[in-house]
Amino acid sequence: MPKTYKKNKILVFGAFGLAAIAAGIALLPAQNATAQGPNNDPPQVWDAFGGNQQAQKYSTATQITPDNVKNLKPKWSIHTGDVSSGARQTTWGATPLFVNNTVYLGTPWYRIVALAPDTGATKWTYRSGGADGPPENQGLKNRGVAYWAASAPQAGQPCQKIVYIGTMNGELHGVDADSGKRCAGFGKGGVVDVNAWAPKNSKWKIGLLQPPAVYKDTLILGWAGNDWVYKTENPGTVYGIDARTGAMKWTFNIIPPDMENQTGTGNVWAGISVDPQTGLAFLPTSSPSPNYYGGDRLKEMPYATATVAVRAETGEVVWSRQLVHHDIWDVDTNSAPTLVDIKKNGRTIPALIQATKMGFLFILNRNTGEPVYPIEERPVPASDVKGEVAAKTQPYVPYPEPTVPETTPPVSLFADIVSFGECSRWKARLRDDGRYTPPSVRGSISWPATLGGVEWGGGALDPTTNTYVVNSNVVPQIYTLVPRADADKKYGNALRDKDGYAAQQGSAYGFKLENFLNMWGMPCWVPPYGTLSSYDINTGKLNWKKPFGQVQKWGFYMPESWGSVTIGGPAITKSGLIFIGASMDSRVRAIDVKTGNVLWKHIVDSPAVSQPAVYTYKGKQYVVFAVGGNGILTPRLADQVVAFALP
Amino acid sequence: MVQRHSTRGAWLIVLASLITGAICVYDYYTPETGLIGTGGVILVAMAAALMAVAALVLAFVPNRSCFLQGFLVVSILLDIIGSSVAGYFLESPIIMAAQALALMGWLLNVIGDVADRSVEIDDAEDL
Repeated sequence: MPKTYKKNKILVFGAFGLAAIAAGIALLPAQNATAQGPNNDPPQVWDAFGGNQQAQKYSTATQITPDNVKNLKPKWSIHTGDVSSGARQTTWGATPLFVNNTVYLGTPWYRIVALAPDTGATKWTYRSGGADGPPENQGLKNRGVAYWAASAPQAGQPCQKIVYIGTMNGELHGVDADSGKRCAGFGKGGVVDVNAWAPKNSKWKIGLLQPPAVYKDTLILGWAGNDWVYKTENPGTVYGIDARTGAMKWTFNIIPPDMENQTGTGNVWAGISVDPQTGLAFLPTSSPSPNYYGGDRLKEMPYATATVAVRAETGEVVWSRQLVHHDIWDVDTNSAPTLVDIKKNGRTIPALIQATKMGFLFILNRNTGEPVYPIEERPVPASDVKGEVAAKTQPYVPYPEPTVPETTPPVSLFADIVSFGECSRWKARLRDDGRYTPPSVRGSISWPATLGGVEWGGGALDPTTNTYVVNSNVVPQIYTLVPRADADKKYGNALRDKDGYAAQQGSAYGFKLENFLNMWGMPCWVPPYGTLSSYDINTGKLNWKKPFGQVQKWGFYMPESWGSVTIGGPAITKSGLIFIGASMDSRVRAIDVKTGNVLWKHIVDSPAVSQPAVYTYKGKQYVVFAVGGNGILTPRLADQVVAFALP
Repeated sequence: MVQRHSTRGAWLIVLASLITGAICVYDYYTPETGLIGTGGVILVAMAAALMAVAALVLAFVPNRSCFLQGFLVVSILLDIIGSSVAGYFLESPIIMAAQALALMGWLLNVIGDVADRSVEIDDAEDL
């Protein structure tokens, strides 16, 4: 039995004896709010998916502090109405934007809502119609909106400030930020049909779930695909778009032209960051299709599963660094790199931090792509699958310490016992050679796997101290290749199946992705299942790493020491707080940057699978979460926007 | 063999199960509890209903067999322990407090039964 479980069992019975006391405490009236902090915070907008275009998720606000955060209360809460389950299940990971004295949100039904920042009152709503019709490859999924303002606005003219929302059918809508009316000069009547720009190997309409990055008058736009179902799919292309007119300015292709008949995707589906000083945009690229068998795409594709720096106004590649060679694990580069100016030996190094699903922090000079902390090429296991040739080496970052353990977590004795040995028997049948174990026909434990490591929320940085905080999953998954004849026999022409099957049609193998859970749905490996870590980026030192979040199953909360799988990311404030939802247990939390201790938590309608926004308006600091849930974590979905402030 | 048993504590157990049931209904339908629509709450509510029935038997059937007495006492204790553990993992201090109340009722019943039996024996010896 794991020590943590023993400990908690004791706690259970200890708590039983103290139940009456605990209840009494719970029923006591809440303490009065303490005095608020200073009200002289400089004005700051939260005008991009990552808080700013540098993806730092940093607020200069100081009103809410580690001392008074316990008094934080919901100031306003609204429900957008845009939530649904079943075949039209919504997934909502929007970062609320605060800019133009307004809170802007995109919804998974592809509406934009503009709210008063202090009351949540609706200023206007815009309905794109993008949720009409059958869901395309990504279903009803949204991560918010983007905002652009003209540098020299024309007085009295509309659309000098534009809010953009992408849809599941590849449309990008541009809407006047003040009125909510479509901008007639943007595309055709306010809509750019981006899908029409991507006709090659078109298997589905591209999903514009991630809002574009903005640099001057250029939008940098990627898209989400469906790279498990076909060998040859839409080749990943990033677009530079005129922010005023919607005209295409440039394209950047991740897939080499001579490989487009062999593969596809490699697209950018996560956030993009931009250096406003140099005009470089940093693209986190994904793996090519099909995700888990690369026998048909053995040629090197250096821009896939990489970080690529391009000039934001031209798309010209300045440098690129591949983070996983010949990716056959679906470990896409999946979050916007966070830009940081490292202070080292009296020098300032312009750098970026690229967190990955493998749990590595690649810290690179953002002007050259050269590593600030060394990257080693280490030998990795070979594939035993006919036709597959796994890369001989993979990039490895020993320092800063990875966010995940070095080896596959061992089987949990508790999960094994209650499943009558199911976990250990299952593991014994699988191939497990540690990091980068290739998928196999008998089944392989992928560690880390497609769920990460670090997910698309990435980390947050306090640029005054260069403290970087990041949440990370600790989740091995089972990868099994299914020979085509067997796949056809069992699944016919189905592209997907509920058991985790994905067809990878056109290749020699179908694929099955399974979670390593026992018959009761318990994880077969030892906790924690998720962590939050803090690093000093100037030195690369790990300040602390703690289990983060709580698993909630059938309403029962598992021990805090187990942590939780998380999706979404943190925000960090100058006053020394981390605000984060992301956990499976439908709670949002405030955490002390110095210690990693949870100082405050509050229940919301579902897991807040998003990144919060922090802003100050009329002297009051607000922390706003979009609370939408994600079917990967729990079936509990919602449509809540909730703002917290001191009384 | 049918004997007269104590009814002390039974109403305390009924009260505790009613409190538990009410909390479960509130938790099940209120998003702010974090327990809306969850199976764990239904489980505790069912346990509370069973506890209430058992306690009502304690209250209204003083003349009951030793077997029934033993069955009820053991069942209620198991119910209290199970509901307390569930309350702990649901992070519901009120459910745990209600179980503490039920435990007090259970102790009253068991101690009262032993005390009553002692009095009966003393009375018989006086004869």
